[in-house]
Amino acid sequence: MVSALLAAVRAELTKIFTLRSTWVVTGLILALHLLISVANLRLTTEAVANITPDEHIELFAGESRPARPALVDFMISMSFQMCLFLPTLAAVLAGQEFRAHQLGQSILAVPRRGVLIIAKTVAAAAYLLLVSLAIAGISTTFMYSAVQGWDPGVLTSAHALLGQSRFLTFAVLWALVGYALTLISRRTLIGIIATVALTAVTMTQVLAVSVPAVDALFPLSAGRNLLLNPEDSRLTAGRAHALVVLLLWPTFTTAVAGLLLNRRDVR
Amino acid sequence: MIEVAHLTKHYGGRAAVDDISFTVPRGRVTGFLGPNGAGKSTTLRILLGLDRPDAGTALIDGKPYRDLRYPLHTVGALLDGPGSVPERRAVDHLTWIAQSNRIPRRRVHEVLDLVGLGGVAKQQVKKFSLGMGQRLGLAGALLGDPEILVLDEPINGLDPEGIRWVRTFLRGFAARGRTVLLSSHLMTEMADTADEVVVIARGRIAAHGRLDQITAGHPSLEHVFFALTGDQGPEW
Repeated sequence: MVSALLAAVRAELTKIFTLRSTWVVTGLILALHLLISVANLRLTTEAVANITPDEHIELFAGESRPARPALVDFMISMSFQMCLFLPTLAAVLAGQEFRAHQLGQSILAVPRRGVLIIAKTVAAAAYLLLVSLAIAGISTTFMYSAVQGWDPGVLTSAHALLGQSRFLTFAVLWALVGYALTLISRRTLIGIIATVALTAVTMTQVLAVSVPAVDALFPLSAGRNLLLNPEDSRLTAGRAHALVVLLLWPTFTTAVAGLLLNRRDVR
Repeated sequence: MIEVAHLTKHYGGRAAVDDISFTVPRGRVTGFLGPNGAGKSTTLRILLGLDRPDAGTALIDGKPYRDLRYPLHTVGALLDGPGSVPERRAVDHLTWIAQSNRIPRRRVHEVLDLVGLGGVAKQQVKKFSLGMGQRLGLAGALLGDPEILVLDEPINGLDPEGIRWVRTFLRGFAARGRTVLLSSHLMTEMADTADEVVVIARGRIAAHGRLDQITAGHPSLEHVFFALTGDQGPEW
């Protein structure tokens, strides 16, 4: 069973790495992140240069905060904003199965649906983790450029490492929601639209203002609650709640995708 | 051996296959014949675990396809439909299939050479002709060096040389004691290749037996086919 699963994971990784769309979408996301990071670099460097003797920084006009946590939070939020695009990448990874009826070939190769869905999810999570690491790496590199003349050690502090690990956790779990929704809908576009709708729920802040408890149940809101600082952002739940919500979303949607894969004919 | 017993499948209210039973013995090429919509593809898809039957069983060496651990070592299949993402290279398409069943990578190149695609292994599948796509499908079916081949219209799109190659290959394959279930519309080709024939019409088995028994008293397999399926033949 385990060897069959490992073989299936390896095959799924090959599918991912030999798909041109994977590289195109990944390249676009990383290029956009580079662009935004370059645009932020000058302002961040200036802000670091103007850190006060009591180590306060003004990253945003009129908002003075202790420099170390402010810089780490800013670095994490830079990565966080790129996560909005990860479900699109995940939808492309999942959607390849429904092009040219590849799913039929996949079932012929791995007829046990349980093994197939687990293998697909593990392989997608591994690839999404790689991309998330690249995003975190870019954010860290640019922040290093800004703080190298002041205190580069801020990037390896416990606060920074904890923030990075929270970011990686969120990035993979959030993208897996898009992955599973695409497997359920059997259409890349519908998977993308569904995650855009989930994103809109959080970004519009409608629920956060009117019914915070409900807002906290949405995955991107949970990501925000997990990663961002309550002093900077309107948060709707604590970090433990956010982590549970983030774990439940991909678990539930992947379970539904597996169930449907098991019950439906492969068309 | 392939054993299909009391297989039934409905789509909506219509029976695609209705209580069909037949066996496909080892060491023989068994032709699976029927007009469009007769239930051939549905039967093959259920046999290969792609569709679920409403009733009945379809077993390969006594097991459902779903229960085969590394199925490609037992069954090689070419069906109308399942294929490669067009932008993927042929060698990559076969590589992931091979990896999923722990088939050595060298086998990918062996089967590509076998079907005459060794020189275009690194081309994207979207650049392939219909015949080349069919050869790639055959290569995928042969990857695991299986004991059983299930082929749906394998010569569709092939040139005469390719058709002759498939015919010779399948005869040799069965002669080594292996099993072939072959669906095709081409009666002449089927008559030249098959030892046994299963004829299906309107979701039911119309005839099943050795080719010489089925065609006895008829001028050709084509005449038998039209007689059994109730089709009037090419009047249009």
